[in-house]
Parts: sequence; structure tokens; C-alpha cells
Amino acid sequence: MQGDDRERRRIGWRVMRAAIRPHRVWSWAGIGAGLLWTLARVAIPKLTGQAIDRGVDTKKYGNQLAMWVAILVVAGLFQALFTGLRRYAAFRLALRVETDLRMKLVAHLQRLHFAYHDEAQTGQLMANANSDIAQVNNVVLLIPLTIASTLMMISVIIVLVLSSPGLALFALVALPLLQIAATQFSHKMFPIGTALQNELAQYSAVVEETVTGIRVVKGFGAESRQIERVEKEAGGVFERSIAAAKLRAWFLPLIDLLPTIGLVGILWYGGHEVIRGHLSVGEIVAANTYVLMLIWPLRMLGMLLGQIPRAIAAAARIDDVLATDPEIFSSVHARSLPDGAGQVVFNAVTFGYGHGRTVLDELTLTIRGGEAIAIVGATASGKSTVARLIPRFYDVDSGSVVLDGVDVRELRLHDLRRAVGLVFEDTFLFSQSVRDNIAFADPHAPTEAIERAARLAGAHDFVTALPSGYDTLLGQHGYTLSGGQRQRIAIARAVLADPRVLILDDATSSVDPSKEHEIRAALAEVMQGRTTIIIAHRPATIALADRVVLLADGKIAADGTHEGLLETSAQYREVLARAESDGQSDGQSDGQSDVTTGVHPAGVRPPVAGSPIAGAS
Amino acid sequence: MRGQGHWADLVPDAELGRSDAQRLLRRLAGYLRPYRAKIVLSSILLIAQVAALLAGPSLVRWGIDEGLRNTAASRAHRFDVVTRAAVMYLVLAVLGLFLGRAVTLLIARIGESFLRTLRGTVFKHLMSLSMGFFEREQTGKLVARMTSDIDALQELISQGLVLLVQNVLLFVGAVVVITLLSWQLSLAVLLIVPPVYWSSKWFRRVSNDAYREVRDRISANMSTLQESLEGIRVVQAFAREDQFTKRFENTNEAQFESNLTTVKISAKYFPAVEFSNVAGTAIILGFGGYLVHRHLVTVGVVSAFVLYLNNLFEPIQQLSQFYNTVQSAGAALDKVFGLLDTKPMIVDRPGAFDLPSAGLGIVAEDVAFSYGTGMDLVLNRVSLVVAPGERLALVGPTGAGKSTLAKLFARFYDPTSGAILIGGVDLRDATMDSLRRTMCVVPQEGYLFAGTLRDNVRIGRVGADDAAVDNAVRALGLWDRFSAFEGGLDSEVSEGGTRLSAGERQLVSLARAALADPAILVLDEATSNLDPGTEQAVEAALESLMHGRTVVVVAHRLSTAERADRVAVIDAGGLAEIGTHADLVAAGGRYAGLFAAWRTHQQH
Repeated sequence: MQGDDRERRRIGWRVMRAAIRPHRVWSWAGIGAGLLWTLARVAIPKLTGQAIDRGVDTKKYGNQLAMWVAILVVAGLFQALFTGLRRYAAFRLALRVETDLRMKLVAHLQRLHFAYHDEAQTGQLMANANSDIAQVNNVVLLIPLTIASTLMMISVIIVLVLSSPGLALFALVALPLLQIAATQFSHKMFPIGTALQNELAQYSAVVEETVTGIRVVKGFGAESRQIERVEKEAGGVFERSIAAAKLRAWFLPLIDLLPTIGLVGILWYGGHEVIRGHLSVGEIVAANTYVLMLIWPLRMLGMLLGQIPRAIAAAARIDDVLATDPEIFSSVHARSLPDGAGQVVFNAVTFGYGHGRTVLDELTLTIRGGEAIAIVGATASGKSTVARLIPRFYDVDSGSVVLDGVDVRELRLHDLRRAVGLVFEDTFLFSQSVRDNIAFADPHAPTEAIERAARLAGAHDFVTALPSGYDTLLGQHGYTLSGGQRQRIAIARAVLADPRVLILDDATSSVDPSKEHEIRAALAEVMQGRTTIIIAHRPATIALADRVVLLADGKIAADGTHEGLLETSAQYREVLARAESDGQSDGQSDGQSDVTTGVHPAGVRPPVAGSPIAGAS
Repeated sequence: MRGQGHWADLVPDAELGRSDAQRLLRRLAGYLRPYRAKIVLSSILLIAQVAALLAGPSLVRWGIDEGLRNTAASRAHRFDVVTRAAVMYLVLAVLGLFLGRAVTLLIARIGESFLRTLRGTVFKHLMSLSMGFFEREQTGKLVARMTSDIDALQELISQGLVLLVQNVLLFVGAVVVITLLSWQLSLAVLLIVPPVYWSSKWFRRVSNDAYREVRDRISANMSTLQESLEGIRVVQAFAREDQFTKRFENTNEAQFESNLTTVKISAKYFPAVEFSNVAGTAIILGFGGYLVHRHLVTVGVVSAFVLYLNNLFEPIQQLSQFYNTVQSAGAALDKVFGLLDTKPMIVDRPGAFDLPSAGLGIVAEDVAFSYGTGMDLVLNRVSLVVAPGERLALVGPTGAGKSTLAKLFARFYDPTSGAILIGGVDLRDATMDSLRRTMCVVPQEGYLFAGTLRDNVRIGRVGADDAAVDNAVRALGLWDRFSAFEGGLDSEVSEGGTRLSAGERQLVSLARAALADPAILVLDEATSNLDPGTEQAVEAALESLMHGRTVVVVAHRLSTAERADRVAVIDAGGLAEIGTHADLVAAGGRYAGLFAAWRTHQQH
């Protein structure tokens, strides 16, 4: 385990270094500006002391005072200039690193295979990644600031020791404790803070499910139960908050007290020394200012030391994602797709998802170019899997899938995916305009092409009736379409891509049958000149196909025309009958349902950006 | 009623005016009344702590003037003064530690108790609001009231409240002390305050705008991100990874740029503040030196001023940082109070009585309804009677008003005119409690709550014991199916637990109704498709659930209507036809047409 931890730390550091490297100019700029800032900052108390000793606490009054005050003002301007620069450099670096890491992660996730996205709950993953990136950001920000601050501390110690070693001892003796206390505080606060966040999340979950499921709550009069649960969770939040307050109540006053001990030491020891004539009043005031000056850098160092282990662990977690290689990519020798009619051949294909059972078992099937084939089967018979293997969302375990004479694994992935158009059962539309959604495959498609695709999908009429027609925004901040309307947009999206092989995976299941009738005629036109694979339950939709394949247990159970199979295959009749009785041919599914089913998904919480305002100087 | 996610919560809050603030504070004072004694105590402790903190530089002054520079006195006396000053300083500092600790704890207790009460109060209020309210409001907004808005208050209480008050006191205290030490010198020093104040104000204004921009950009960036992950399969299917990466890059860089703007602002502000600090020191030394030579002040006073300067600057800086926290907490509180001000539309009228326990038919008398004044009537002049024990199906096109009628039966709304009577009692005269005991509304899209399968069924009757739950499950013939889950009825059905199919969720919903065992059932038939294999189970469970009860079912499938005792066709807000299935088919009206079309489709 020890070795493992060390390995993780090494990885974490490597990720952080790699993230900083391209922008090291800014880290050097930050450190450089910090050095010059230190110089001025350390000089100022000294100058103050000089001004007191030579200008104020003296019998002669005049030029000496004016000169020291003038020098002090100049040093102040110098300090101000460089404090601005060092803040800018440090924050710029940290923001840059944060932005880059996020970009890298997202770009990488875009390339990862379906199986990865099936496993990982990406929403949760990204939420974690955001907080991990914020952790790294915090540390990257503090590094140049802390380097300058550390230099400042060293200079202060030197200056104090040179003026009086005894005074230095009394002034500084308590300060290391300050740094230790700050580190401890940061360490101990972290788990409590996390626990508080968890409690808040649980509380939010109860609130959210109550509001989302309000029909159930009201319908059964279960308000009291939910109130009880909310009160319990609010109690949990209370307990954790008080625990956090207890910790703060110990550490914050302590952190305030420790520098005061130095001030008391200066007054006592320094005072005696002044009376003995070994030190001046100016030096006492200067020493006081030095101690006050060290408070923030020490607290910051403490925070940094507390955060570094967490940031390294966070960076290692980011690396976990980045180190996952896409399993499906174009091979080095990938070739472009030769011309062809869109013939698809499954050669003894065996496939299963992950460690699960075998879904396709030595499936052999030839779909001729230009043919329209319907794949029918009971739930989990593997029919959707057939659809997903053609565009290589997954690779077969054994056997091969061949498109126009070439094993799909030997094709350029981009070519393959552009040649195969798939309309999913669960339609996903983007929060863009209807136009952008239809033109997804080709953002530069002319309006006529977009409208033609919409017409073929039976979407044109309702789209033109929308508030802004094709420019109507969909999704989160836009217009909400019904399930059937969404499916028709998705079909239009696939039609516009003009694929060689078109796969409709239960793509009209939510379309009102009366409207499906219109689409059916249009679909017949779309299917002209391309291979079409239809996965459906409704006999009317199946009838669009030239040929029907019945799938059972990952194998072909029957193969023929719809009429032929109805006559010869009892199994086929049974599958269709069940689909029908299950309401698959029900006519009301276009209606909008506003009860959300299931438990709400984990939302991606926006990250907390490193705030320059909250940062200490 | 569609969740807007967390993104809607990031919309920046409007600035709060002075009169709003006063109104809020008065109202807040009402909530804080129970903690009066603790608030007074913590104020006293806080003042004591600030006094202890402010005593330090004065002790240094005393040490310098009476000890170090008091050359007239004996050396022993001077040593003695210095030692006494140092000891007092230390004692006060330690006292400050304990006072600070007590104040932090006390204020946390007050604040967190208040929040806990507020969370409970707001939620209870939310639960008392009628269904109509929930249908009007967006889920996301309501959830935000309870979560992010109250979190904003929590942020203020846990991070800032103590520091906020402490800083105000420190500043005021420091001004008082330096004025007492030397009014001339303090006038000179306070010259610095206006420019610092103005620059803080500028900073606040500019950074407010900049942060608003940052919040918008973050929210836009996160939306893109969320979408690119949710839509990953579509993106890959169309080989649009590059385009999407580019799109994210744009929003990501926009976020960076807006963040950088805030950095630039603070890179201007903080140097100005640091310089003002030095300028203050210069004024103290220059003018103080002059006053020392005129024998108007002592060296100790000048030194103390240098040390007090810190106490003047820190608070101004800290307060300008708190401004945003205070602003957003105020805006959040305003919104929360706004929710609390929403009056429940449906409450028991004074003298409301319980519904009778037998003879529970439903009567609609000349019912008209619109969702708001000035809006179109959704139902108009609907009169019908459901006899006790009868099963009535409501059919009709989407939007014709059949679901609305069912909602009126359940008193989710009150009719605009006319009346709904159950067991001969106008619903407006009946208690809500007795109505809920008498009637269950079962939305068939089974919604699951976090918890076990058993907990989910138990929602049907809060407080039912395990045996009652098991019996309800058995009564619908679902025992074998539910026990087949790994973990049986104790399986967690929330995230990460057993995933239930749509059909299985409906079964849970029906089991809830069986547990509630109401005399009247109002069913809203599922519109979505079911997974094969559960449909039969749902049908069977439904059949045994409906047995022996008065049932109103909003039917989307005409097969359901076919099995009902009578069918009411609702069209364009009115009752078009009512009668038995056979009669209506024979009559050859609307229903006969609908049914014929449906049959043809089935046979296709």
C-alpha cells in the first residue's frame, strides 16, 4: 500500500508539473515580481523604524524626517506596483492550468468508447473532476505566492536577527506554531467540510425528490413523511455545521493569539533593551510591524501544506481518467471506405457487454446493399446490439462485422461513422436550434436540405408551427418537444447525414400512430438507395422492410418476409402479439407526460473558481 | 414541472435596495426573537473581545511613554512598567482567545438553529401549497429556494457573520481610540479613509459585474459540458467529436477570460490598498513627528498610531469582500420570504368536517374551471354522477380536459364555478385529511423515492407497519415478483441500487394504493410504453386493486375504457357522451368513432 501511495503521489506531481510547464513563464514572472515585492515590503518597517528614530524620537526636527518619509512613500509605490504584478501572474497561471485541465479532460472523454461511458456515470465523474481541478487550481495559485512569501519570511528573520538576536527570538518564537495550527486546521476542516457537503447533498436530494414527485406525495397525503425526512436531514446539516464551528472556534482565535505572543515578547524584551540603551523605539515599532506582516504568509503556508496532499491526490484522480485509453479508434493501417451499396455482413459474431452474459452468439447475417431489413425480437434478444456493432460503438468479441467488403475494424472510424446513420430509441437533442439539431452532421447544410430532411421525417409541419420555426431553441432554456416530435427531429438528423446504412432503433416508438402513417410514406422514400435496418414492434413499421429477421437468444430464429413469418413461425407471432398487448401499438404516446420517473440524476455541480478576491496577499 | 437542473440557480441576483434591506431585517428580527438572550450575550462577548484586541497598541504606547521614554523615573520603575504592560497584553490576548471562541460558538449556534428552523418552515409551507402551485412553478426554482438560496445564508453565517460584526466593531473602536489619543493626528490619518472607501466602492461595483459575468460563463460552460457528456453517443455516432471539442473550447476559454477580468480588477485594487496603508504610515510619521516636536503628542502615541493603522485598514478591506456575500444572502432571503408569502389556495375552511365513510359516490354539478382568472375555461358545464362502487372511464383527446376533471375530483384545484360532491358533501366543506383517507390519486408513472422498496410502498400510508406493507403487496399478487429482487423488499431502489423498469415502478405505485386502501381511486393511466413482461402483471394488479372501489380512470387506451362500467367522453371541455361501452358503440357517436379507429389500428 505504501508503495502504491508513493506511486499515486508521483503521478499527481507529474500531472501538476505537466499542467504548469507550458505556462512556466507566468510562474517565473510571478516569482520575479514576488521577489521585488518582498524587497520593498521588508524595507518598509525598517524605514518606518528609521523615520521614528531619526525624525520623531529625536531632539532635532526637520530634513531627516522629511527624507525618511519620502523614501517610505517611494518604497510604498514600488511595493504596490509589484504586488499587482505578482497577483496577476499567480492567478493567471492558476486559471490557465484549470482551463487546460478541463479542456484536456473533456476532449479525452469525447474520445472514450461507449463501454466506458456505460460504466462511468459521466455526470458524477465530471462533478468529481471539477472539484479535483479546483483543488489543483488552489495549490497552483498558492505556489508562486508562497515562494515570494517564504522569501519574505526569511528576509524578515535575517533583518530581525541582525538588529537584535534576542528580539528576533522573542518576536518569532510563537510563529512556527501559527503555521502548524493553520496546517492542522486545514487538515481537520477538510473531512468535516466534506461531511457537511454530503449532508447538504442528502438534504437537497430529499427536497428535490419531493418536489419532483409531488403528485405522489399529494396523491397519497404523504406530506408528513417528507417533512419528517427533511427535518431529519436539516438536523444532519445542523450537526455538521456545529462540528465545523467547533473546529473554527478552536483554531481561529488561536491563530489570532499566536502572533500577539510575539508582540508581547517584543514589548517585554525590547522594552528592557531600550531602557538599557541597546535598542531604539523605532526598532521596537519595526519589529511589531514585522510580526504583523508575517501573519498572512504563515497562514497561507499552513493552508498550502494542508492542501498539497489533497491536490496531489486530486491530480492523480484526474490522471486516472486521462490514462484510460479509448478502446475503439482507427487502427494505424485504417483504410477509407470503398464505394459500395452498403452491404453489411455479420460473420459468426459473438458479443457480450463487459463481464455479462453473451448477447450475440455466433450470429451470421448478410444484409444486401440497398435492402430494407427489420430485426424483431423480444426484449434483450440482442436486436439493439446488432445495430450498435455496425458503427463500431463496441467491438465484437469474436467473428467480424463487414461493411462493403471491409471489416469495420479496418476502416477509418470517421468514415465508418459517417457512413452509418443511427437513430436511437432514446432521442437526445442538443440545446440548440431545431435547425442546428437537424444539421448536426453537416453544420453547413443549406436550408433546403434541412427542410427536406425534416419533411421526410414528418417534422416539417410541426417545426414551422413552433414559435420561431426552425430557429426555435430546444432544451434546457428553450422549447420542450414531445417524445414523438423529438424522435422525428432525430430521424431528420440522420436523414440529413445521408448515410449509406440507416439504422432506426425503435425510432418511431413514441410517434403517434396517426402521424407515423405520414412518416412511413416518407421513410419509404428515405430508404431508397440505401441499406436500412429497422428495429421495431409495430407491424405497420415492420411492413416497411423487404425482409424480417427474428432474433432470439443472440441467434437468428427465423428469416423471411413479414407475411411468410406470420404463417410459418409461431415464435414470431408470439413476439408480435406480446408487443401489441404491451401497448406498443398504443396511440397516445405522443402526449406529453410531465411526471418525471425515477430518481433524479446526479447533477454536475459547477466548480468554485479560485477567487482572487478571497486570496490573501 | 420540468427540472431545470442547477444551472438556473446561477442566474445572478438583483441588487438589493436600502428599503428592501430594512424590510428584510425587520422580518428577520421576527425569526431571531427566540434567540434574543443569546444574541445579547454574544454581542457583549464580541464587544469585550474587540476591546481586548484594541487594548494592545495602547499598552504599547503606555509602555513606551511611561517606561521607555520616561527618563525622569527610576530604572526599576521603568522596567516594572514595561513588565506590567507586557503581562497585561498577554492576559488580554488570552482572554481574547476565550472570548473569540465563545462568540464563534454562540453565533454558530444561533445561526445554524435559525437555518434549521427556516429549512423546516419553508418546506412545511411548501407542502401546504396546492397542486396548482406546483404545476405553475418550475421544479428547479422551488428546489433552489430550499437549497441554493438557504445555502447562501449558510455561507454568510458560517464564514462571515462573526468577522463581519467584528470588523465593524474593530473599525469603530479603532477610530474612537485614536481620537482619544490625539484628535489632530487622527484627523490627518482619517484623510486616508475616503479614498480607500471610494476605491473599495469602485472595486465592489466593478467586481460585482465581473463576477456576474463569471457566473454566467461558468454556467454556460457547464451546460456545454453536461450536454457533450449526455449526448456523447450521438456525438460519436455522427463523428462530431472535433466540433464538440471546439465548442467546449470556446465556452471554456470564455470562462477563462471572464475570470481573468476579475483578476485584473483585483490586481488594480489591492496595490491601491497596500499603498494607502504605507501612505497612512507616512502621514502618521510626518505629521506625528511635527506634533511630537511641538510637544502635542508623545513618541508612544505615534508608535501606537502606526500599530492601529492595521485595525483601520483590515476592516475596510474585509468589509468590501463581504459585501457580495451579504448581498447574495439578502437576495436569497428575499426570495425565501417570497415563497413563504405564497398563500395556500386550498385550505380547510373553518368548520370543515370529515367526509362520510359510506355511500361514497362522486357528483360533478355544473362544473366550470379555468387555471386562472382571464384564462380560457378548460372545463365548462360538466355534470355527471359516479355511483358508489362504479368504475367510470374518462376518454377524449389530449388536452380536452379529462385529466383536469380528475384533478378536481381529487381537489388539487377547486372548480371556478359549480361543485364537486363526494358522499353528498361539497369538497370545499370537507377536511383535506378525510379526503386523502377516502381517495387515492394514483399516477401510474411510478415515481420512486430514495429508500427501500418497502419504504416506497409505505408512502401509501405513512406509519404502516411492515406486515401491512407485505399484505398490500400480497393482495395485488406481487409478492413473488418483489421478493425476487436481490434483497427482496429491502432492496434499495435509489441510485446505485436495484434499477426498476417502468412497469415495475408502476407496480410499486399500485401497491402504495393497495396499502392506502381508499374507498375511491382516481387513476391516471400511463401514457408511455411498458416493458414486455410487466404489462400483464400491471393489468392484473390494477384489476384486483379496483375491485370493490369507486374508480375514476383517465383512460388513454380504449381497452381500459371497454372494461369500465361506464364511459364519459370529454371533448373541448365539455361532456360529449356518457354511457356504457356497448351503448355508446351502438349509438354511433364520438366514442363509436374513436373506438372504430382504434380497432382498425390494432388489427393493422
